[in-house]
Amino acid sequence: MLELDSITSGYGDARVIQDFSCTAEAGRITALMGRNGMGKTTLLKTVMGLLPITSGQILLDSAPLERLNPHERSRQGLGYVPQGREVFENFTVAENLRLAALGSSLDHLDMLPQIYDWFPILKERLDQKAGTFSGGQQQILAIARALITRPKILLLDEPTEGIQPSIVRDISLQLSRIAKETGLTILLVEQNVDMVKTMADDIAFIENGKMMEKCLLEDLGPDDALLHRYLSI
Amino acid sequence: MDLLLPLIDALSYILILVLIALGLMIVFGMMGVINMAHGELFMIGAYVMVVCQSAGLPFLVGLLLAPLIVGLLGLLIEMLLIRHIYLRPLDTILATWGLSIALKQGIVLIFGPESQSIASPINEMITIGDFSYPLYRTLVMLAAILLIGGTFWLFLKTDFGLQARAVIARPDTAATLGINTRQLYRSSFVIGTALAGLAGALVAPTISVDPQMGLGYLIPGFLSILVGGAGPLAGVLVGGSAVGGANSLLTVWISPVAAQIAVFIMAILVIRLRPEGILGGRK
Repeated sequence: MLELDSITSGYGDARVIQDFSCTAEAGRITALMGRNGMGKTTLLKTVMGLLPITSGQILLDSAPLERLNPHERSRQGLGYVPQGREVFENFTVAENLRLAALGSSLDHLDMLPQIYDWFPILKERLDQKAGTFSGGQQQILAIARALITRPKILLLDEPTEGIQPSIVRDISLQLSRIAKETGLTILLVEQNVDMVKTMADDIAFIENGKMMEKCLLEDLGPDDALLHRYLSI
Repeated sequence: MDLLLPLIDALSYILILVLIALGLMIVFGMMGVINMAHGELFMIGAYVMVVCQSAGLPFLVGLLLAPLIVGLLGLLIEMLLIRHIYLRPLDTILATWGLSIALKQGIVLIFGPESQSIASPINEMITIGDFSYPLYRTLVMLAAILLIGGTFWLFLKTDFGLQARAVIARPDTAATLGINTRQLYRSSFVIGTALAGLAGALVAPTISVDPQMGLGYLIPGFLSILVGGAGPLAGVLVGGSAVGGANSLLTVWISPVAAQIAVFIMAILVIRLRPEGILGGRK
């Protein structure tokens, strides 16, 4: 379980995230939704340690993370799929995956057969450079790379951005399957309503860096009233 | 046969230059540190040989000690200075420039400003037909080729290299995968400095060892990186060959100073016409 307790952070003097509290329950998929510029990516970067936290606590299974460096947080069990994928374009698929194992433990390479089962395309293109992949394929690689580190929780930052709708659906279904099979906890930052509805158990809404409301997927309200309110759709 | 000797001399200069530029490039490519003191680390490698020679230690012991001592010095510099200014290139120029002055003056205080000479451990010549060349210089070239090859292997073929290249390309992403970027920076900096120390020790018997010798390699080293472009390693090879080859060959016909001016003009032309270096593609 990931608990964010009264987090404040931002860039320099600009506070983007203010007194934000939220919990991603173990074994569940929590979607964090909000319009552009509301602080979603900033929040995930703060959780990963890529941005300094001004105040508040980040607890992963009750262990505080906020004083750790990004690589220590990764080793504690945070798996991160950044916005824009950020795969290593000049590395092959195999090298991208090996790198993730090097960061955590080379023993994690035993997961490869499992990874190939989830994402067969990676096995077919092991020697291909990641830079030649389409956006969707890069997204799959970025997810696989994070999974190799055997995270307790996977943080996904807008995985559907710039990806064809058909592939978005494939990725959503596959991630739901993985979460079900392995009990992986997922915190998904997303604006794509279809993906959220396909995957999420819980939905939290962020506005101007503040936590507004959290509900079960079923409780979105008649005609998705909450989505209309917080996403203006 | 008249051209063979200058060609081999040029090759020998190129190899040493590439060795020095590789150290500079590793440190710059990975950490954004422009290390103006790199030439002084090279010089200290040569002075380790001076000390070993006067202590009567065997030449090979000096060759082992030089990279060790300079590597340790590199570790110290990283811990006390460099790690505070990672990824701030302008600050690193100022800080390492200051460091280079301090190191140079330190050497002047201990050894005096005059130049020292190191006796070559091997005085035989290699003779093929009517051409002969000092065996020691040939061995230095071989050693340089091995070291350059070893560095390429380390960075292109090993897990350490995979992580280092990942940190060069996307430091934050590498860190979020659990890679300790700070530790990689530190090891790479030490590898870069140890290489400079070993290069200094290797060439010490073939040049005059003095406190100013570092600059003579530092500037062509930087030029090689600029002129080469593309991918940290291949660019250094091409740039080092262009800068070192031109410099060394031109001195056959014109004075060393004129040769240097010519090389600078050529470098400016290359950078003007191909801002991304000969190989292109540098970010």
